[in-house]
Amino acid sequence: MEWLTVPREWLTSAGEIAKFCGKILGQVYSLKVFRFFGETLRQSGILIVSSTIVIWGLVFIIGLQCGTEGAYFSRSVGAPSQAGVFAAWCDLRELVPYAFGYMMAAKVGTGIVAELGSMRISDEIDALEVMGIDSVLFLCATRLLASWLVLPFVYLAAIGAGFFASYLAVVQQVGDVSSGGYFLVFWMFQNPPDLVYSLIKGMVMATVVVLVGCYYGYNASGGPVGVGTATAKSMVLNIVMVHLIGMLGTQVFWGANPRAPIGG
Amino acid sequence: MSEDKMQADDATRVASVVDDRDDEFKWHTGKQLPTGVQDAIEFVDVHKAFGRNKILRGLNMGIPEDKISMILGPSGTGKSVCIKHMVGLLYPDQGDIIVHGKSVPMMHDDELFDMRKKFGVLFQDGALFGSMNLLDNVAFPLRQHTDKGEEEVMEIVNRRLAEVGLTNAGDKMPNELSGGMRKRAGFARALVLDPDIVLFDEPDSGLDPVRTALLCELIQEIHEENGGAYVVITHDIMSARRVAEHISVLWKGRIVESGPAEQLFNSDNAFVRQFLAGDSQGPLGME
Ligand SMILES: Nc1ncnc2c1ncn2[C@@H]1O[C@H](COP(=O)(O)OP(=O)(O)OP(=O)(O)O)[C@@H](O)[C@H]1O
Ligand SMILES: [Mg+2]
Repeated sequence: MEWLTVPREWLTSAGEIAKFCGKILGQVYSLKVFRFFGETLRQSGILIVSSTIVIWGLVFIIGLQCGTEGAYFSRSVGAPSQAGVFAAWCDLRELVPYAFGYMMAAKVGTGIVAELGSMRISDEIDALEVMGIDSVLFLCATRLLASWLVLPFVYLAAIGAGFFASYLAVVQQVGDVSSGGYFLVFWMFQNPPDLVYSLIKGMVMATVVVLVGCYYGYNASGGPVGVGTATAKSMVLNIVMVHLIGMLGTQVFWGANPRAPIGG
Repeated sequence: MSEDKMQADDATRVASVVDDRDDEFKWHTGKQLPTGVQDAIEFVDVHKAFGRNKILRGLNMGIPEDKISMILGPSGTGKSVCIKHMVGLLYPDQGDIIVHGKSVPMMHDDELFDMRKKFGVLFQDGALFGSMNLLDNVAFPLRQHTDKGEEEVMEIVNRRLAEVGLTNAGDKMPNELSGGMRKRAGFARALVLDPDIVLFDEPDSGLDPVRTALLCELIQEIHEENGGAYVVITHDIMSARRVAEHISVLWKGRIVESGPAEQLFNSDNAFVRQFLAGDSQGPLGME
């Protein structure tokens, strides 16, 4: 059964990751994490200072792109006034979550792996444990809570940045449709639940990225090289997970019902 | 493989195991000379392997209460591994570690965290938190485990840092320090809560001879002041002669001999004599 070894290894490590993440989630839900609320706030601060601008920047650029393409495509089918549909759907439902997920994986996820990994190999995590401090609680649960405290706002602002960029591209740059006409269609093709769904998508991605980062960092071994390998592995897993969540989210939230004023 | 060959194989393997045992543990009398006091920490037939690499192989060792004990032994025999067993960072494959009458491997997480609060540990590489400066590093245990006000914390921290000669380095980050300075800061951090049991993994490696001597004096002073079981791992025979009250010689995962320092320095065990004299001739080679 040689060929079974690889999938079996995957299964065991998936089980391990699930167990570890379950522990962290449990510590946050049981409110144990509030014992280190100061550390949570510190992590929140780090998140705000180091990651918001890149996330908004990326979303803004993608919003421009989506707007441009939407404008020209709707012109090509003879309905330039419908360009707002692209901004409403493409930005809110797909591109903002993906761009957000990518940046989370690239910036926040790898950052956590590198930080925790280097703490692991220089015995700092052992030192924490020896001082009678639950290191998973102190290092991982605080980071997860911090991301839950901060990221919803970052995400909502990112949606704003994406919408603004699309508006710029469609109305100001291409200019086939007036501002008022654009917004009429734009608002017609979305409603509040869409925003909530999109937010859920983004937050699930963020949670997974933070948890995966914590797992690979906390369990790093094998010196600096090991930390490098762990960082790479976490990035692979995170990108796959971001896409899975994106796809599943779209299927579940909008797959059966596009929630749009089309047809009947 | 033929039956004969297999049997032959088995035979040689058994023979080599027996052989091995004869040779390997020839010098391990395992003698534990009486110390007259109770043991704070006790290792009972502890086995530990990493994969195929057997590190501890039936370790029986006692660390007496209220004395400065030293664990000596060749590099790579598992002294650091030993320390990690005492605080429950590593678990034995077999055997038991008893701290103040309680089995460490059997403890629940909460018990374990509580028990660790009476330990002060200096890791071999200092293990300072890279994201905090020295002051915060040393203050960390105080802030986490006591209700002391910030002023009092800072006063204690500054006193501890002054003891190890780092008065002016308080606002430096660990990566801006030399190895020896990190060691000394780790030393200060380990002692900041006045722990009952103190574990130092090579506090003197990477220090100049004068600083080593001063550090030894400091260990003695603090021990006189606070009491408690101190465990010091070192390669420096001079330090051992200066401060050790009890010595355990570890080799190949077992105790060769242990007991009060004077008696060990006068031991007639060839390995112990070679090691404590730092001789190149004797049972221990490079292998
Ligand atoms: N986490 C680990 N995983 C695998 N092997 C390990 C691990 N920790 C220690 N070892 C192995 O255990 C052996 C003993 O290591 P240890 O660090 O205890 O030696 P030591 O006696 O402290 O040596 P030194 O005096 O050089 O510090 C080494 O061969 C090392 O390779
Ligand atoms: Mg060591």
